[in-house]
Amino acid sequence: MATSAAAQETFFALREEIARIEGRLAARLEETAPAAGSGAVLVRRNGLAVTSLLATGAEGFDRALGGGLPQAALTEIQGAETRDAGSSTGFVLALVSLLLGEAPAPVLWTGTFDVFREAGLPYAPGLRSLYGIEPARLLVAPAQRLADALWIAEEAARMGGFSAVLVEIRGNPARFDLTASRRLHHRARDAGRPVFLLRQAGFPEPTAAPVRLIVSPAPAGPRQTVSGALCGSIGPPSFRIAVSKSLSAPAAQFTLEWNVHERAFQERGAENPVAVAPLSRDGPHIAAKTGTGLAFRYRAEPAARAEPAGKQFAPHRRLG
Amino acid sequence: MLSRQENNSRRIAALDEKAERLGLRRGTGIADARAMYPSLEVAEADPEADRRLIEALADWCDRYTPLVALDGVDGLFLDISGCAHLFGGERCLLDDIAARFFHQGFAVRAGLASTPGAAWAAARFAPGGCILGQGEEESFMAGLPLAALRLEAATRTSLESVGLSTVGSIAGAPRAPLARRFGTTLILRLDQALGRVEEAISPRLPVAVLSVERHLAEPVALMEDIERLVLLLAGSLKQDLERRGEGARSLELLLFRVDGAVGRVAVGASLPLREPHLIGRLFHERLAALEREIDAGYGFDLVRLSALATAAFESTQGDLSGAALSGDRDIAMFADRVRARLGPDALLRPQLSGSHVPERAASLRRIEAVPAEMHAVSDSLAGGSAVERPLRLLTPAEPIEVPATEVPEGPPLNFRWRRALYRVTRAEGPERIAPEWWREQEAAASRDYFRVEDADGRRYWLYREGLYDPFEKIRTRWYLQGLSA
Repeated sequence: MATSAAAQETFFALREEIARIEGRLAARLEETAPAAGSGAVLVRRNGLAVTSLLATGAEGFDRALGGGLPQAALTEIQGAETRDAGSSTGFVLALVSLLLGEAPAPVLWTGTFDVFREAGLPYAPGLRSLYGIEPARLLVAPAQRLADALWIAEEAARMGGFSAVLVEIRGNPARFDLTASRRLHHRARDAGRPVFLLRQAGFPEPTAAPVRLIVSPAPAGPRQTVSGALCGSIGPPSFRIAVSKSLSAPAAQFTLEWNVHERAFQERGAENPVAVAPLSRDGPHIAAKTGTGLAFRYRAEPAARAEPAGKQFAPHRRLG
Repeated sequence: MLSRQENNSRRIAALDEKAERLGLRRGTGIADARAMYPSLEVAEADPEADRRLIEALADWCDRYTPLVALDGVDGLFLDISGCAHLFGGERCLLDDIAARFFHQGFAVRAGLASTPGAAWAAARFAPGGCILGQGEEESFMAGLPLAALRLEAATRTSLESVGLSTVGSIAGAPRAPLARRFGTTLILRLDQALGRVEEAISPRLPVAVLSVERHLAEPVALMEDIERLVLLLAGSLKQDLERRGEGARSLELLLFRVDGAVGRVAVGASLPLREPHLIGRLFHERLAALEREIDAGYGFDLVRLSALATAAFESTQGDLSGAALSGDRDIAMFADRVRARLGPDALLRPQLSGSHVPERAASLRRIEAVPAEMHAVSDSLAGGSAVERPLRLLTPAEPIEVPATEVPEGPPLNFRWRRALYRVTRAEGPERIAPEWWREQEAAASRDYFRVEDADGRRYWLYREGLYDPFEKIRTRWYLQGLSA
């Protein structure tokens, strides 16, 4: 008995050691049931609450990942081609938007010049309307060389003052090898803040990131109006996510949709639980400040309310 | 011997001692000199290089006093008020200057006096290393020729033609007739030399608010040593900053090399700095970026750290854990370090502006002061609209080929972008954006924007420039401007 108990203790100690090296909680090894809520607050660093997992809100996806994406880690997000940059960027920014909800701190987006030239520079009005990322919250650091971008990312990741750090690279450069990804991962783990590696036009290669997701575009659903779907319209952003590497999930594919009004993911196919015409995008309507406001600052959602009932068409079709 | 073009003839601009011994003088024509001594070696004078050299020397003289001014093309003024004691007195200072210049291979004449005019004369007309005490100017100047008064050649010759050839003869003469006949400059120069009129020299560089320096008996060349010195100096700078209740916004490190070259390394801080280790980290990044450009040569024997600009330092009290207020400071420090290493354009922030043209509505700008802006919610018309915009903007917009549209002003059926063909399955639009006539130089065409989705589900933001006109046959052009999620 005594020997078996001692052996078990050694076994558990080893298991914990492995879990510590891999940067996840030991309890997760056995736990298969989804964690309740978004996870407990583990540490408080720089005034930001650090939770262990980031729940995306899409239940099946979260369950497959064992509760959500690890927060204190490097997460690799990959787009197969440069033209998929819109989708992969959109998915990462959606994750950032979720993070900003719990920890309002600046976001750093670094990358090399060539990726910004090929896939375009971040466009603040789009980031703001879709993901609620204020321009004042975003720092963009285009770097001449990959080494500089990695230096910026490592320094930012180590600091932990950012709510998220995005590193965007193109292809599979030789300089960004397993060692470089391990350095980023360790810094993210020590600081407790996530680092997202956004790889455009690359193929999967060995990485220290515990989770790698491959994002490809998915046709968007139609816009929902009070009287049903609006024919021929392009609805909220949709993504096809393939889990390519995960410590807990088997390879799987999901189609997620970003709910712009709720600022949360939902799985495609699920019945839309959200009101078709939301009251207001940014919470309940607040009385405008006197004096400073412009008359048309708070505008209703255009497609949702302005369309007449009855047979619905996209605007351009009515021209023809 | 150096020659120079002057009034259509080549004349001697400068000559060495050997040529001087042959009896040649400045201003002699090169042709005459060659006729006398055919083996003369003549090189073209380079005034630009001379100017650079004298400026480099002025930089180097910064080690004695921050107030260094250029005097013509061949002289330097050093205002050593309050600096002489640092070098052990005026005599030691003068000897030190003369010795260091001698070892660098320059022949210098130095003079020291209470007024710039008298010092100028002492350097040029007295035997080497002349020091004039307070009140000795008059007796010293009296015996010197008129050239010692920094007069123009025309004034001097006309004075000499009436028999006034020494300073003493003018100083004793009645002033009013002199001024009437030879101009007030003469009187002014005389008064300046004798200390009756204040004369200020204009220093080349602005004087730093605070500076600390360290003279080294043994020159240092290694970057690690320099960084350690920066920490030491920043430690002494901190005391001065604390006394003034300020922090440094802009710092400069001066490295005086043994052979006279001066290296300047400047860093800026977005928040006032005081802590030595923070200053040390900024310089660490800057020095790492400049590692190839800084040539230590035989080493640096004087290192000076100056605060060029300071600002009030706000002392904040953190909570007991000391964590509460560190977020902004961390990010400010991070931004400073990135900019110190990779230049001011390394860190940008999007900025919205009130414009309907998409590429003008938002731009990436340099960061001026980090924390103040960081939490300010921008409240601009451009970003507040509920119209959907792409996530990434291609700048400039890339032209695409559109073979056909369903209706003349409708969205494309397919398009070719970067040599690949995309079939459009769905489209939304148009959203017409007219050019801003108050900004454009010439009339630009209006744009019709479409959000389109291709067969794979990628979403793009396209626009057509110009309108179809069945009679005019105006060519319209299509562009792809953005990628959406």
